Amino acid sequence: MAAKKETYTYSEAMKRLESIVSRIESNELDIDELGTHLKEAQKLIKFCKDKLYKADREIQKMLASETDSDESPTA
Amino acid sequence: MESNSPLSLAELNALVRRSLQTCFPDALWVQAELSDVRANASGHCYLEFVQKDASGNSLAAKARGIIWAGTFARLKPYFERETGQAFVSGIKVLVKVTVGFHELYGYSLTVTDIDPTYTLGDMARRRREILERLKQEGVLTLNKELELPELAQRIAVISSPTAAGYGDFCKQLRDNAFGFVFYPCLFPAVMQGDKVEASVISALDRIYEKLDRWDAVVIIRGGGATSDLSGFDTYDLAVNCAQFPLPIITGIGHERDDTVIDMVAHTRVKTPTAAAEFLVNHTRMTAEKLEGLSQCIYQEVPLRLTREKERLENWLMRIPSKVQMRLQREAFAQERLAKRMETALKARMQAERHRIELWSQRVNAASPEVLLKRGYSITLKDGKAVTDASALRPGDEVETRLAKGSFKSIVKK
Repeated sequence: MAAKKETYTYSEAMKRLESIVSRIESNELDIDELGTHLKEAQKLIKFCKDKLYKADREIQKMLASETDSDESPTA
Repeated sequence: MESNSPLSLAELNALVRRSLQTCFPDALWVQAELSDVRANASGHCYLEFVQKDASGNSLAAKARGIIWAGTFARLKPYFERETGQAFVSGIKVLVKVTVGFHELYGYSLTVTDIDPTYTLGDMARRRREILERLKQEGVLTLNKELELPELAQRIAVISSPTAAGYGDFCKQLRDNAFGFVFYPCLFPAVMQGDKVEASVISALDRIYEKLDRWDAVVIIRGGGATSDLSGFDTYDLAVNCAQFPLPIITGIGHERDDTVIDMVAHTRVKTPTAAAEFLVNHTRMTAEKLEGLSQCIYQEVPLRLTREKERLENWLMRIPSKVQMRLQREAFAQERLAKRMETALKARMQAERHRIELWSQRVNAASPEVLLKRGYSITLKDGKAVTDASALRPGDEVETRLAKGSFKSIVKK
């Protein structure tokens, strides 16, 4: 299962999240699996929210080196 | 005037001037292309009107023109405001002119009015031609077909670094009400005049070099008083934008007409601020989707667990009644079995009793008393029945038992 994958893009994370939700909604999951999926979903949600709301040092650094301008990210 | 006395040049030119004045007493509307437009320090505008031949390569006609400072100060901003096009060489205009002739400076046209709708029409025709060509080449909608990533944060911004519009854009992104993160990065370019095309294309090329670092490109300009958008209406720029592999958002800041790159861009908005709003809004939709999914999970999972619990409880409730039913069934079966056993036993006992009776009858029939009554007797010696005469010796005492009583006798022989 893709649950073990640690480096996804935002879109991949969203797709995975959608598939978990639809499986939960369609009662496809055993109660035993529910916990594992919930844990994974929580991780995915956090990952996505961090992307949306938290400035990424890596990107900032990369962009700073990219251009000569000293533009800083807006958050 | 005597025909054979030669005229001075001044006289001839004066004659020409008077003839022209007579021939063209009123102002006329004329279509021409602008060329060599120059405004001097005192505000007068000197220019040339040209007309190209059918091939477009050489000139068919040419005339000097002048717009006096007073007229030019009024016409130029009016024209530029109406057309979004600078009053520069290369554009087609419809102007009202008076035809004049000066003894020293020769033939010239003095502009008194201009009709921007003609230029607008010509610009629109040019744009249409560019769009038609892009369409035929199959690239017209390529950029529109790109999907803006759900998370569009890393924005390559093509703008003049000093433009107010760029500041507005960054501010709008930075101060977004939702706290979204954006990473705008400036790729400076000239956004006015005839350098627009080369400058914007070169900025696009720089972005293209590190394509995977960006989610989208924003081309903005704004803040200037008058607009000169003609630089954005070129085939080369349009074809570059249309084929660019990242979605392009334009906020070029003209109210009325879309430039060609507006039309090929993924998304077209009016102003830099609107471009930022568009991005914020896009991210808001992304965030809402995430929120929706996370709500689903946090509601659905407990719901599912509750349902499961209910199911269990339901089962639990059903178990006692099931058990009871089962027990009842068992008890009933037992009872029936007991009854069957009882009848079976009774029957069996009766049969046994019957058998015993028969036996006893048969036994009775065979008893010695019955035989004795019939006249038989038993001879006993020493209390044992004698069945063989050879067992007796003369002189033995034997007892003879009859049905009633007995007697003793001595064996003679």
